[in-house]
Amino acid sequence: MLGQLIWWSSIALEMALLARGLQNRLAFRLPVFYSYIAFVIFQDLVRLSTFQWKYDLYKRVFWSTEFLGLAIGSLVVFEIYKVSLAAYPGAARMARNALAVVFLVALVKGVLDVAGAAAGWQASAAAPEIERVLRVVQAAAILALVALFLVYSIPFGRNLRGVLLGYGLFVGTRVICLTFVSLQNHNFWFYAYSASYIGALSLWLGYLWSYQPSPQPRNPRADLDDEYRKIAAETQRWLQAMRGYLRKTVRS
Amino acid sequence: MIDFLSLIAGVLLVLMLMAVATKGWMGSRQLPDPVPGSSEGEPTEPCPKEFVSRVFSRGDWEFVHGLKSRGMERLFEHERKKVALVWVRQTSALVRNAIREHARAARQSKNLDFLGEISILAQFLILILSCRVLSIAIHIAGPVRLSGLAQFAQRLSQQVDRLQESLHGGVLAGASGTRAT
Repeated sequence: MLGQLIWWSSIALEMALLARGLQNRLAFRLPVFYSYIAFVIFQDLVRLSTFQWKYDLYKRVFWSTEFLGLAIGSLVVFEIYKVSLAAYPGAARMARNALAVVFLVALVKGVLDVAGAAAGWQASAAAPEIERVLRVVQAAAILALVALFLVYSIPFGRNLRGVLLGYGLFVGTRVICLTFVSLQNHNFWFYAYSASYIGALSLWLGYLWSYQPSPQPRNPRADLDDEYRKIAAETQRWLQAMRGYLRKTVRS
Repeated sequence: MIDFLSLIAGVLLVLMLMAVATKGWMGSRQLPDPVPGSSEGEPTEPCPKEFVSRVFSRGDWEFVHGLKSRGMERLFEHERKKVALVWVRQTSALVRNAIREHARAARQSKNLDFLGEISILAQFLILILSCRVLSIAIHIAGPVRLSGLAQFAQRLSQQVDRLQESLHGGVLAGASGTRAT
């Protein structure tokens, strides 16, 4: 009963969000995000019909659509990165490198895990486990991006901020729930896992109700790169002086 | 272990985004262009060295101790601790200003040096951490027993100030700020 309620309220919220996005034309400004919402509506309807009429196929349909949703969700993170940092090439470069580090660490960890427990996974437990691992990678990537946005004081418009908050909180709660969830038992974590998406949808509906322009930086000066080089050189000089001072202090 | 790490990642992300949502970080509020060192309530320069060495010196404490008045000693410790904590907060604010100004210049540069930036951020984090540790130490031990450590932190803050001055030197004028489109 609770599961059905979560299911139907998700579909209703998704439809409202998509309709509103088309009406206020935000769907054309954030096309990847709204494609994701359209996909999730399709996914819910497919799952619902499979659940009611072809239950023996349900698990297979559930997991294949879940992973497809996860992949499109990753594109949403990429859209956030692209839109927010379009005017900030320096911060964008930092973000690309930070994300590369996150994915490299995830890849190495994944390879080590697979090598360590090649035959350890049971088919029934493999899908949630894989989802958890992929969601952790997503969470780490979003964490790195948010930290960068904060360090470089990147101003966000209300709409993009809502997309980031909703998707980030959804991924964060998914990671927490997947640590405890058992899909065999319908316990608290099972419902929390399903309901986390409703939280994200409500947040999106609030933040994306109307279009609000994103702040843009003033015309960047052409000689900014030379200035950055000067600043970086000065900073390095300062760091060297500080290192010397630290050494002296430790010795004294 | 892996479960634990993923749990930490999830919890950290949720907490960070909740802070972003509730504290209004990354908001699009339009703020005037910052004029370096002019923000109201923010320190523009570090305390003079003589002042800091006075706050943390044992000379005044020995004088008060010589008066043999327990009440006076307590009052002295209380007041000195307050002054020392204000100084730590001021130093920490200077460090944060320097981070902000550096980041403002770096975020729009096309030739940003990734490793250089990481190194700068790490150094700033060390400074902020030093201030935090100093603040806790003042709370626990009081400023008089910390004069060596405080002199060290003061030197660090003056290094930051020198960096800040070099950033202010006309280099950043006009390169920062935002406007709504």
